Order: sequence, then C-alpha cells, then structure tokens
Amino acid sequence: MKVEISRRRFLQGSVAMSVVGGVSLSTSSMIASASAPAKKIGNDTKKVATLCEMCVNKCAAIAHVRNGVVEKLDPNPLFPKSRNMLCARGNSGIQALYDPDRLKYPLIRDGEKGSGKFKRVTWDEAYAYINEKLTKILDEEKDNRSTVAFCAGEGMAEHTFKTFFTLFGSSHFLNHASLCLATTVSGYSLTIGGYGQADLDNAKYVIMAGANRAEAIVTPDTMDFFKRTNGRGAKLVCVDPRFTNTAAKSDKWLAINVGTDLAFVLALTYVAIKEERYNKAFVENYFNGFETYKEHILSNNYTPEWAEKITGIKAKDIYEVAREFMAAAPQAVYYQGRRTTWSKNDFQLRRAMALFSALGGGVDVKGGICFGKSLPLVEHEVPAPMYAQAKPRIESKEAAVVGGSGSWVAFRNMVLEGRNPYPIRALFNYKHNPMHNMPNAKKTEEFLKKLDLVVTIDTMPSDTVMLSDVVLPECNYLERTDPVVSYGGIEPSIAQRNKVVEPMFESKPVMEIMRGLSAKISKPLFEITKKYDEDVQSAIEDDDEETVYAEFDLTKAFAHDQEELNVHAVEKYEGAAEILKEKGVFYPNMNEYFKKTGVNDYEYYPEHKRAYSVRNLKFNTPSGKIECVLDSLTKKGIDAMPVWKKEYEMAIPEGKFRFITGRHAQFTQSGTANNRLLLNLVPENYAWINKRVALKMGIQFGDKLEVSSPVGKTTIKAYPTEKIGPDTLFFVHGFGVSSSALHLAHNNGGNDAKILEDGIEPMHGSSCLHDTIVAIRKV
Amino acid sequence: MARYGMALNYKNCINCRACESACKEENGVLLLPDHYRIWVGVKEAEGEYPNISIASQTYHPSQCQHCENAPCQLVCPTNATHYSPDGMVMVDPTRCILCTYCINACPYDARYVDQRTMTVDKCTFCSDTRLANGETTTACQATCPTKVRVFGDLDDPNSEISQLLAKHEYRRVKEHLGTKPKLFYIL
Repeated sequence: MKVEISRRRFLQGSVAMSVVGGVSLSTSSMIASASAPAKKIGNDTKKVATLCEMCVNKCAAIAHVRNGVVEKLDPNPLFPKSRNMLCARGNSGIQALYDPDRLKYPLIRDGEKGSGKFKRVTWDEAYAYINEKLTKILDEEKDNRSTVAFCAGEGMAEHTFKTFFTLFGSSHFLNHASLCLATTVSGYSLTIGGYGQADLDNAKYVIMAGANRAEAIVTPDTMDFFKRTNGRGAKLVCVDPRFTNTAAKSDKWLAINVGTDLAFVLALTYVAIKEERYNKAFVENYFNGFETYKEHILSNNYTPEWAEKITGIKAKDIYEVAREFMAAAPQAVYYQGRRTTWSKNDFQLRRAMALFSALGGGVDVKGGICFGKSLPLVEHEVPAPMYAQAKPRIESKEAAVVGGSGSWVAFRNMVLEGRNPYPIRALFNYKHNPMHNMPNAKKTEEFLKKLDLVVTIDTMPSDTVMLSDVVLPECNYLERTDPVVSYGGIEPSIAQRNKVVEPMFESKPVMEIMRGLSAKISKPLFEITKKYDEDVQSAIEDDDEETVYAEFDLTKAFAHDQEELNVHAVEKYEGAAEILKEKGVFYPNMNEYFKKTGVNDYEYYPEHKRAYSVRNLKFNTPSGKIECVLDSLTKKGIDAMPVWKKEYEMAIPEGKFRFITGRHAQFTQSGTANNRLLLNLVPENYAWINKRVALKMGIQFGDKLEVSSPVGKTTIKAYPTEKIGPDTLFFVHGFGVSSSALHLAHNNGGNDAKILEDGIEPMHGSSCLHDTIVAIRKV
Repeated sequence: MARYGMALNYKNCINCRACESACKEENGVLLLPDHYRIWVGVKEAEGEYPNISIASQTYHPSQCQHCENAPCQLVCPTNATHYSPDGMVMVDPTRCILCTYCINACPYDARYVDQRTMTVDKCTFCSDTRLANGETTTACQATCPTKVRVFGDLDDPNSEISQLLAKHEYRRVKEHLGTKPKLFYIL
C-alpha cells in the first residue's frame, strides 16, 4: 500500500515557523551584548534595548544594568508603537524580575491536587514524569492526541509554545481570545475587512464606548489621544456605565445601562440614515447591501426615543452625537475597543459600530480607522505531522464559528458536564491563569482537578499553578530573547526583546523548555503512534522507520537558539539583525526618518510616508466592500444584520446589582497581583457602589462586603461613589488571589472570576463578562 | 549656571501614575506608605449619577516646586535645606536633624521622612540620579505616556520650557504666598 506521505505533508497544512536554514553567525556578534556574569565588585554598567512584558503592548525599554543587576527601566524612544514611554507597570518590571515569590525550580505535585504542596525536582525528572504520564494517557487513548489540550496566555513566546502544540498534533488550542477580543476582531474584520488601528493622532471626533483608554492603556492610542482632548483638536464622547478617567477627559460622558450599547449604536445609525447625514459618495461606491441595511434600520424604528428607554441615554444626546459625528466624518471614529466580550449581542454590537464608522467614510483614511502596512518577516514552512487517530475539536458546535483559539468556557464546561465525545485527560498551559481569567473559578478548579496531568509553564505561582501537577519555571522577560515581532500599522516597525540578564535560579525560556521536553517525549510518543496509526505503519513498511520518524520528530522545531532564529527572520532587511540587537527596534529608513522634534517628542515617519490609506478603496471582505449583510451566517443561526432583541434587556431585581469588571492603569489582570511597586501605588481593589445606595444600606468607605452571585462569592472593601449608577457594581480585575505562594497578593481584595457567571455568546463562544447579577452584604 | 524649572501640560495627565513609579525606581524611594517624592492630586468628580460635572474631576501632577523663595529653606536650622547652584532646593541628609520644621513650612506638602535614612526627602529633579549622568530629562518626564512634563533651564531663552512659557498662559500654585515656585501649569 502506498502511503500518501504527501497528504501528511500538504493536506494537513503546515505550521509557519521561523526555523533558520544554514545561517551562520559569528559567536562574537551573537554574544556581544549578551549579559555579563554578575560581578561581586566593580562598577560594570551596560544598557540593553528590550521590550516590556508587563502587559500586551510590548513597549520598547532600555534596561540599565549594573554588576548584573537591573537597576532601572527607561523608555526607548525609537519604537513608533510605544512613543517613548513606560507606564507604571513598565517601570515595575524590575519588581517582577526580583520578586522573591517567583517560580525558581521545576516542581512536581507532592500532595492532594490544589494542596499547594510540591517537591523540587530536576528538569530531567520533570520531563521524565511528563513523559511517563503522557505515554500512559496516549496509549490508553490509542494515540488520540486531542485528549491532550493546550492553552496559552498572550506573549511573545506564545508562538514557540504553539509550535509545540502543532507538532504534538492535538486539536485543542485554547487561548485568551474567547475570554478577550474575539468578537471585536471578527465583528470589524467581517464588516470592514480588518480590526484596524484608529488614527487617534488625527481623528477629530471619537466615540469611546466601554473602551477606557486613560486607564486600560493601549499604544499608541493612549499617548496620541490625550494630548488632543479637552478642546485641543479631538472631541471625545465617552459612553460608559462608570465615570472613568477617560470620562474625566471627555467632552461628553453618556452614562449607559450595562449591556445596551447595541441599542445606542442602532439609534445613532438611524439618525445618520434618516437625516441622510452619512457620506453618500462613500456609501454608494463602497458599501455592499446598504439599501437592505437602511430598510432594516428604518423599518425597525431604531429611533433615539426608542433607544432612550433601553440605554438610559437621552434621545437628544443621541441625535446630537450622531449629527456631530457625521459632521466631523471622515475624521470620526467609533473606537473599536479591544476589551472582553460583554454580553450575548457583542458580535452584532461590533458589527454595528463598524458600520456606523463606515457610514461617515472614516475607514482606510487619515483620522479614521486605518489598516496600515506591515513589514513581513521571513518564515520557514515546516510540515506538521498528521496523526490519524487525533479526533476533531470537541466544542466546535458550541458556537457558530469556533476558530483556532477555541471557546475556553465551552470546552471546560463540556468536559465538566461529561458532554465530551472522548476523554480530555491532560493540559499544557503556558503563561495563562484560567483560574483567575475565566468566569466561574469553581468550575475551573473542578476541571483542573479532573485532569490526569496539568503541566504549567509560568513565572509566578498563580492560582492555576497551585492546581497543576508539574510546574516548569519560565524565566522573566528581562532574562530572555524572544521571537522578533513585526508590528504593522500607520508607522510599521519590527521590534525585538533582547535578553538583559541571565535567567535566575533554574528558570528557562520557553524555547529551551520545549527543546528539553521534546527531546524526552518525542521518541516514546512516536512508539505509541506506531502502535495505533495504520498510516504510519504502512509508511514504515514502504520507507524505513527513520524516514517516517523524521516527520514526527518533535525536537526539530527547537534545535536553534532564539537569537539565530531572529537573525534569519529579518534577513531581508539589510543590517536589521544587528540594529535590533543594539537598539531593539528597526524599520526601513529609520536612520533617515527618525527625528527628535522636542525634548519629549519624536517623529518616526515623515507625514507622506505614513500608511493611512492602503486599500485603494478595496476592502478585505468577500465583496471587496463594506459588508452590511452577512447572509452566510444565517444558516449558523447568526443574524445577517445587527438586531436588537427583547432578551437583551436584563432585569435587575430590587436590591441587586449588575456586575461589571474592568481595568485600571496600574495592574494587568492577575499577572501583576504580587508586584510590590504596583501594590505600593494601589494596595487593593475596591467595589464601586453608588453613594446614595450605600448610604441607604449603611455602607461606608472601607466596609467589608461579601459580593455573591449564583456561582460564588468574594469579599472586598466598599467605595461608595456617584461615579456609578444605583443598580451597578464594579471592581477592577486582577486581585483576590487564592495562592498562598504569592505572599503579597494572597487574599488581597476581591476576585471577579469567583462570581462571574459563565454564559457564552453565540458567534464564537466568547464568555460574556457583564451578564452577572450580584447581591451584597456587609460582613 | 542654569535655573531649572518644570512646565506641566497637566491637561494631558490621565492619572496613570507612571511618573510616581519611575521616580521610585530611579531614586530608590522606599516602597512604604506615604513615601513619595511626586504624586498626582485627584479632585473627585462632583454631581450625582448620571449628572457628573466632567470638569470637576481633575488630575494635578505635583512634586517639590523648587521655590526661589522657599519657606523650607528659611526655617531649616542646620542649612540642610539649601539652594543648589542650579536653583534647585536640595536637602543634605548629613545635616538633617529631623526637626521637621521644613515639612511643616512647605505649603505644598512636598516633603516626607525617609524611614531608611531618617532624614527629610523630596524631589531633586533627579539631579544625582540622572542629570549628574548627562541625562537632560527627569525620570517622571521621560516615562510619561502623555508627556505632561517639560524640564529645563528657565534662563535659557531657547530652551523648550522657556519657549513654552513664552507662548502659553500658565499658573503657579499658591503664588500669593510669595514662594516663587518653579513648577508652571500650562493652561
């Protein structure tokens, strides 16, 4: 029998990996700026250009090192994306590096799961333990690789971990997308052909609804925008159930009932269409299905008066905002936002937002939503092996479109409810804390306890680490060189995180962890594949075992050092590799374009070289136009156009509150919960409760509250304020850690994951974070 | 000699407190309660939900004003508090006897007791940590996402701070006390 090796090689698809092909590099140039060993005496100083990892933005930083110790992080002005700044979290990176609670050695559980008892082992013992468990599981499951799931948090090394996942052959990759911005990205992409970048450096009118750029910092948006608010070029309408720092910077703050943004946008659209204020030339030329959308909006009578009853925003304000927006268009943006999914209508909300922006013509134009240019890196296609026994993703039918990042909540719940068609037995977890970032922590705990093997790679002993069987300590971001990354945009650039100091204790970068682990498990796992995979058996008959194994060899992707891979990735840009090592940032003509224009200000590209308009008015959608009607989704049960439904109006029982969560500028989710410097700025989180309601309930500032929902409870101090409505309760995410190995974070403040209900929306199975009703009582 | 001052585009401030954290890391300020050289003064919003006065909530980044006529210097019995040749108000910890007269005299509440040295500490415009190493910005200025601060020489007519102050209206805090503060809030 002729085995279709070609099927494996080509039909399965290939994984894009930056694997170097015979690039030679002098050792001296590779280690020229590598860390010198710490000296006990002397005054050995150096500066290393690196990238921050205290949140997702990846701001460029210069690390000042003295005698092997990082003393200060300064902003690196060269990076167009981060615009010469480091926020409070960026500055506190040193405290993350030198946090005494860091994971230092490989650990294997040594007690009941969740007991927090571990024993220190060598790396080899940890790999051997994983190997023993995995071979047993895969033997019992007859090489169904999908019984082992993989999950990852956001980070530059996620790519390396994902390569391991792809070669391993499981169908289950789960990352933050379904707990984060999946609906936003797809809502904008399917409508205007991309999520894009709002040009807040030039927009004249911006609606920020829910997005809180003064607190949830996004680069370069935050830096560009707040220099222009308060009557200095940009008008800001802030729509939020809370009076946030962004609201304090706005020209108009519209307090909205939680979960009703879609009604607000539909009413804005109604005004623009009914009063014919939209950009007619743009709509005629570049909209697909406008007449149908117009008819839909008008016939449903999505009037401001209708929306007032639902949103709590006065009809006259809706008229005014719609008119002002269209008058300022195309330099007018309904800001995409990038936070989590809020409620069941989130995908349709993002569609309606994109369509409203586009009605003004503010797409692919200066001052609107831009798509920008990218600087492609060299990627090497490496065939991924195909495992005949690997079964498809279990939760693919739980939502209309479950993509490569899965639906985390649906996946977890199916396993807990026993609805999985085959067993899920193990989980590899990289830099991800589902115990804290996924609604209903009790269920996540049960889920993790149910698995035979949980392997977690992280830097800190998070709540998820405490429920793991094997813990592999990754080094801190200042201790490693990560994959070089290209950042597209109006001012595109390439940036590289360079290792600043050597990893402490026995921690390692993911590349090395994957190298060690794959060397241990590759052969034994192939033996199991050989046992159950008939395709492989015939292939071995036809060829020889060595040839077939080469395809299944997991180690091949991790043979090279990251520094080498990075050199290869940028080889088409002359001199880029050296510049990235030295300066951390590169883009073509940087020497010519980059200029200091003031004590604080830099120019990255001359005005005429900025990529404001790149699409030639042909958008990345099926019709090449702005898509009003998505008929293809109706057979999956998703409305072709945004529709308001009665069921979206959530009643809040007397004496209870709708719970909302969010961010502030000092913490990044749960990842910074133990940071000394940040805790010095913000010692704990507080529950925002309306002042008059608090007075009636006898609650004063600092009183301890128990916040409870149908799924759990948490304790937190009260902050009575008029900045929130009487039926809403808010506290910031990232506090209330259970892990006693995090000495500063342990039991500090309230944990939203314990009280959030775990409903999902129908498009991608993203978790709805703002659909929970809570009760409070003084304790 | 220079005469250092600072202009603040305080309307840019989003109260992210990057400045405060950069100052602590740069200058080794202890991570203890009430230990800070700079801060963001927040005036809480007025009004009742949903009718909040937007203008009422303000962020006011602040630090030692490096007054030309500094009350703290006048009351210091040991001359620990003195003027540097560049016009900065400085504390010599070797002379400080922790009488705390200066803390009481400062109208801006810019001083605190450093629990490590048990002397009075405050903003130095990063003169020992940055300016001495050839840097031309303070840590709070360099790190700021929205670029609130412009530090520079008030006696140099070509400096950015002089140009800014020539072009824009500004106000100083508690000017009526005759302290001649050198922090300028751009209106």
